[in-house]
Amino acid sequence: MTTTTAPAAPATAGGHQPGGLMRRQNFVTGVVGGVAVAALACVLTHLLAGDSGSYFSDRVGTMTFIGWDLGFLLGIGAVNGPINWLRGRDMTEEDQLYLAGKDQGRRRYWKFCTDHKVVGVQYFIMAMIVLFAGGVLAMLIRTELMRPGQHFVDQQTYNTFIGMHGILMIVGLIIAIAGPFGNFILPIMIGARDMAFPRLNALSFWLVVAAAVPLLSVFAIGGISDGWSTYAPLAVQDHIGMDAFAVGVMTFVASTTIAGVNIVTTFITMRTKGMKLVRVPIFTWGVTISSALGLFAMPFFAVALTLLLSDRTMGTSFYLSFGGGSGWLWENLFWLMGHPEVYVILLPGAAAVLEIATVFARKPLFGYQVVVGGMVAIALLSVVVWAHHMFTTGWAPALNGPFMLTTEIISIPTGVLILALLGTVWQGNIWMRLPMFWVFGMAWDFIIGGITGIYLSDVPVDQQMHGTMFVVAHFHYVLVGSVLFAAMGAVAYWFPKVTGRMLDERMGKVAFWVIFVSFQVTFIAMFISGLAGMPRRVANYAHTLEVSNFASTIGAYVLMAGMLLELYVIVVSWRRGKPAGRNPWHAKSLEWQVPTPVPLFNFDVLPVVTSDPYGYGEPPPPAAEPEPGPQVPVEEPELVPAGAGTPEGEDR
Amino acid sequence: MAPTDQQAPVARRIHWPELLITWAVLTAVSVAGSLLLFPHVMPRAASSTMHLIILTVVVFSVTAAPVGSLVYATLFYGLRHWKHSSGDEPPPDGPPMRGNTPVIIVWIGISCVIGTFLLIWGLAAMAADSADAAHPALTVDVTGQQWLWTFHYPGTDVTTSQLVLPEGKTVTFDVTSLDVVHGFWIVQMGVKVDANPGQVTTVSVTPDKAGTFTVVCSELCGLNHAFMRAPVRVLPDNQFKSWLASQE
Repeated sequence: MTTTTAPAAPATAGGHQPGGLMRRQNFVTGVVGGVAVAALACVLTHLLAGDSGSYFSDRVGTMTFIGWDLGFLLGIGAVNGPINWLRGRDMTEEDQLYLAGKDQGRRRYWKFCTDHKVVGVQYFIMAMIVLFAGGVLAMLIRTELMRPGQHFVDQQTYNTFIGMHGILMIVGLIIAIAGPFGNFILPIMIGARDMAFPRLNALSFWLVVAAAVPLLSVFAIGGISDGWSTYAPLAVQDHIGMDAFAVGVMTFVASTTIAGVNIVTTFITMRTKGMKLVRVPIFTWGVTISSALGLFAMPFFAVALTLLLSDRTMGTSFYLSFGGGSGWLWENLFWLMGHPEVYVILLPGAAAVLEIATVFARKPLFGYQVVVGGMVAIALLSVVVWAHHMFTTGWAPALNGPFMLTTEIISIPTGVLILALLGTVWQGNIWMRLPMFWVFGMAWDFIIGGITGIYLSDVPVDQQMHGTMFVVAHFHYVLVGSVLFAAMGAVAYWFPKVTGRMLDERMGKVAFWVIFVSFQVTFIAMFISGLAGMPRRVANYAHTLEVSNFASTIGAYVLMAGMLLELYVIVVSWRRGKPAGRNPWHAKSLEWQVPTPVPLFNFDVLPVVTSDPYGYGEPPPPAAEPEPGPQVPVEEPELVPAGAGTPEGEDR
Repeated sequence: MAPTDQQAPVARRIHWPELLITWAVLTAVSVAGSLLLFPHVMPRAASSTMHLIILTVVVFSVTAAPVGSLVYATLFYGLRHWKHSSGDEPPPDGPPMRGNTPVIIVWIGISCVIGTFLLIWGLAAMAADSADAAHPALTVDVTGQQWLWTFHYPGTDVTTSQLVLPEGKTVTFDVTSLDVVHGFWIVQMGVKVDANPGQVTTVSVTPDKAGTFTVVCSELCGLNHAFMRAPVRVLPDNQFKSWLASQE
């Protein structure tokens, strides 16, 4: 794209308004389109391939939800571009600017908007909604487990709760950091005007919304009786809810894959001049490595679910032993996704914590290269540890030793990340603002989550602990105690840039303490239940486990209260918080050097970077003319292939 | 920008005795805690395997205690001595330490040593565990189905819904399922293996305590998963033989 065009001819030529059809498309037309195509698919499938005379069959269900996905994307305008190309047209620059949400105010948050900052905010809201739904389910689960015996819900409902709690929390955590901050902050951090593929960026977000509908409709059509790991053949014999689950998850996999391609490409190609790979903020490394790992891992989920739907709707037997298949195939495919996915979730969180620690300890990051190497090593190793989830399945006992080895090796690069955190705060001048609270909380939980993981990597111990509440408590320490704490630290840290307002410190600290203490109570009690021999995913348990379960439930209620307080703090601060200014933390990375609110194309003039953003306590880098700081603007704007168009000649 | 115009920041002295004492105290507390907690909370062992598992958990905890305590001691020390302010203005910059190669090498080296120890311990425990399994005195066919367990004693007509085992003899279980994946787990004996339809998986154990124990399904298997349990009775060998004979 060049910028030789004279100021554009008035857009009225040919009666064409900027945006064209996009002007009339938004979330509502998406829903209308989704419902319409879903209904069409439902009726057609019933006519052509209905296998039980009822609309309530697996084929009809599967096609209905696929129809929803397609119709929603059509309706919201996600495929306008490709359709235009088929008609031999392309978008004009005005169309692109319209697509980027120029001058549309709040309306653009309901539209297929390519501005990475809008997408980031959309992800932020979506992650909170999904995590909230998962949290409500957690409360329902804990209510059933408050006392032994069935006293609250029936078995089928309980099984639906645990499966949906699992998948919603996994979805919520995958998007919790990489979604909002990988989109809003990462391009600014590396000095880009947008993501490499802005339209794919918008598509990745709206696919999450599309996925939420089949996932949530599971509740309306009878639920699922599997956990989120949906082991076959149980998942093959399950009710129609499983079809909705499968289509929803596959849609989400499409979203993460598209987002992953986008983030990796952005990181590789869109860095500004001087932003060498040894100078990018560590957070961008974490998000990028996580996204690349997701590109490997998540498609396994889609593949596994494709085979599952095929077994359910077309009479194949990939997972059915009487037809020559095996449930072990599902378990392998699932964990080939499932274990790397843990690190897909963890790496952005760990990187965000290190990023925050440098700013609030006022010190450079300790061992930058070692940290990057450690994260790469974690990503590589994480693809060869999956069968430690299968020690007790009987699949390949001879491989238990090797998988124990790889699993224990992965603790070494993970330990390096801890060392980097300790080294960064070591002798620092720690500024105890809200984000730093979450960093310390995360470090506390991560040690517990990590050490309990070592027990589970040991084959004989896993023979006892596998499938117990001990495992559940362990991965909640990693996923909630570490990642969600890191996410809330990231929210506190970047909130001023995203919203222009400070997150309320006083109430935020109250929320932190409530969450921190109740989290320990909930999950230490759960460790004890597990050690004492309580299997996971049960609605009933022995009376000997009464005390620890009761403690867990009370802890969980307080935890939910803390989370609601955190949510309240976010909402109130967003509306009425103290205005933040450009750089309230006096941080050195690029996102804090641009104005707040961030202009449409982030930078008037793309900066040239002369050092990494961690020069605390060091003399200012060379050639720092206008103001001390690592980033120096140059005179001439650099042309960047930002798909949303160049800012040339536009008021920004 | 942070006020960097003054002289380059100087690293503050570390008060090593305090840091080391904090570390030592935390380590001692967590070692004592794990020695007390795990044997007390975990089920009372009813097999040599379970004794080994409890021992492993304790050994791993004792190994991990100084590592975790080091991190916590440093964080506590940091909160005591390096905490600066929570005001609107940031504190002055800290010392510009970008890394410390010896520290990194020592840290990774110690991680490797600990990892190797855990690995060798685990492999040795696996070997010790499977040594017994080579010469089982008894084989039991275990079949899971939604939502009950059936136990068959090969060579006899005996099929029961409760598992009866002889004390002190090595038993091998051939485990399978009629429908979906179940998990065959004797809680107090530390044995667990999935029951897969169309496959036979094997696990062995030597019960070393007479008494009544529990089989629990450890893999979610649908509606009544939580209630898929069976009793286990371990009898002295001669009583077991007469029980088996009485069932035929």
